[in-house]
Amino acid sequence: MMASEEEINLLVIVVDVNPVWWGQQAQRETELSLSKCLDAVMVLGNSHLAMGRTNKLAVIASHCEDSHFLYPGKSWRAGDSGGDDAYSSGDGKYELLSVVNNLIAEEIRKVMSKTEVRGNSTDTLLAGTLAKALCYVNRVSKEFEAGQEIKSRILVIKAAEDCPRQYMNFMNVIFAAQKQNILIDACVLDSDSGLLQQACDITGGLYLKIPQKVALAQYLLWVFLPDSDQRSQLVLPPPAHVDYRAACFCHRNLIEIGYVCSVCLSIFCNFSPICTTCETAFKIQLPHMVKPKKKKLKQPS
Amino acid sequence: MDEEPERAKRWEGGYERTWEVLKEDESGSLKATVEEILFQSKRKRVIESHGQVRLGMMRHLHVVVDCSRSMEDQDLKPNRLTSSLKLIETFVEEYFDQNPISQLGIITTKNKRAEKLTDLAGNAKKHIVALKKAVGTVCVGEPSLYNSLNLAIQTLKHMPGHTSREILIILSSLTTCDPANISELIKTLKSLKVRVSIIGLSAEVRVCTVLTRETGGSYHVILDESHFKELLMLHVKPPPASSSSECSLIRMGFPQHTIASLTDQDAKPSFSMSHLDSSSGAVLSLGGYFCPQCHAKYTELPVECKVCGLTLVSAPHLARSFHHLFPLQGFTESPAQELHADRCCQACQGELKDTSIFTCPSCRCVFCLECDLFIHDSLHCCPCCIHNQTNS
Repeated sequence: MMASEEEINLLVIVVDVNPVWWGQQAQRETELSLSKCLDAVMVLGNSHLAMGRTNKLAVIASHCEDSHFLYPGKSWRAGDSGGDDAYSSGDGKYELLSVVNNLIAEEIRKVMSKTEVRGNSTDTLLAGTLAKALCYVNRVSKEFEAGQEIKSRILVIKAAEDCPRQYMNFMNVIFAAQKQNILIDACVLDSDSGLLQQACDITGGLYLKIPQKVALAQYLLWVFLPDSDQRSQLVLPPPAHVDYRAACFCHRNLIEIGYVCSVCLSIFCNFSPICTTCETAFKIQLPHMVKPKKKKLKQPS
Repeated sequence: MDEEPERAKRWEGGYERTWEVLKEDESGSLKATVEEILFQSKRKRVIESHGQVRLGMMRHLHVVVDCSRSMEDQDLKPNRLTSSLKLIETFVEEYFDQNPISQLGIITTKNKRAEKLTDLAGNAKKHIVALKKAVGTVCVGEPSLYNSLNLAIQTLKHMPGHTSREILIILSSLTTCDPANISELIKTLKSLKVRVSIIGLSAEVRVCTVLTRETGGSYHVILDESHFKELLMLHVKPPPASSSSECSLIRMGFPQHTIASLTDQDAKPSFSMSHLDSSSGAVLSLGGYFCPQCHAKYTELPVECKVCGLTLVSAPHLARSFHHLFPLQGFTESPAQELHADRCCQACQGELKDTSIFTCPSCRCVFCLECDLFIHDSLHCCPCCIHNQTNS
């Protein structure tokens, strides 16, 4: 039974458009190109909007340089929108869907042509994009009156590998999402991402590494279209095993038992008298010294 | 009286003319003033961070709840006890959210005695269940500060030196019945480095002032329920560590979460060790967290292994506390008219409708009020700085 008409579902799709990865992908095989990926995203977006009259959608592209909102555009800018006539399609399709598709196509063309990739930064700025997505969700949920419930979730379509430098920001984003009850789902195209696995586990979302890239649209519609209420009634991929072991700060090995500094919470695999991060000297518990009893010498009389 | 700092009481100060705050504009409406007041109250929520101060991250906190006759008073709806317990429930959840590796215990005091409601534990659920049950207790008699502090000290004095030892007392009565001299107890508290803070529900009581001043805690008296909530939430943030607290390396285990299903050959159902003491809640389960030292099974983290004594946590628990160690700097406020460029908030892409805009000092990006609050309350990192960080 669908929820009451007051409930609004907001789906934010974050697409990884890392040009380095997609360029390499185009050279390796032609099964999945960036345009086909965005076609699948548009199909998912249209289906989500068609599921309910009050459903809302947002699409963000995550690049090496910055994150760009593909949809919705800044429609409150009166001068820029140029009227909806350009976007209406002649075939009687629901107008909102054609507006969405055309806006996404136009914006992604702008993004990919304008932004340049500088030499040393080829990692996707996923943590930053998720932070912006959370701010957007926060704003949208404040815009409605007190009576209306809004349920939000974020779907991340990930292409390139993880960037380990983003660990702390990523964790901050994950905890903020968990506090706001926003699910983070992940659809991974290539290599497994430990950070996204943790995100899905902590927030209660779904993680899926796609076995066949060419069937991306199918996986998106089957796994990621239903919202959280309906997921309990469907047979979905089982949760992935998440490795929550910590990495020690000295060697970056995953350890099961370690030593944690009580001041700065850095993790070490071996005991050392000084913490390398915050440079505090630790108090070492020494065993009690047993003082030898002094024997009184008998004075020779 | 001689050592007490000079403080003007409210009735000693000059008369405050509260009506002067409200100013009407030309059409006679108060809308602008009301919006200004709302804006200021929202801004108050962003508290300045302390900066480079060592914080006590691992906390052992005892909450003492007064259950004496004065708690039946109905000035907080429906009565003081129900309202306090409800707010303490929210406090417990926030506390474990911000301090995942800390522990909390609850003590109640009535009839000149004190008794433990829950032991010091790191799990929020037990406390919340106990608090819900405690709503039905009969409030009778007088509270005893001495006995409740004594009871708290019994467990706190065995705690290792690197943790912060705190007691938070919710006191509604104006009297306390102590079997011995409380000044002696205050000296003991100071020597054990226990920090006592009190939230008074009725009025200021001198023994509380002395107690909190000597031990380095804070004493506040509530004005109304929302003020009560604010004061409670002040204690969620980790306090600055006292200079005498020791720093040590704590040995911790990071167990793997094994999810076994019925189709696995080796999967054997087993009980969780945390339910050994209680008869209810003991269920056989297939997966769980296995202690790396002794392979005892637990269903939830963080927990202290009952068999071998190793503290078990997972890496995200430690990561939750990182934002205390690297606090986000406040954003600079400026009037919106000065912004000549695009009137768009860089984080949420919304229009900048407020009278002020907020700029991040390091990346100079512009944010609206809602994003500023959200970033400082929940997100703890500036979205635009993240973009620049990974690029540099």
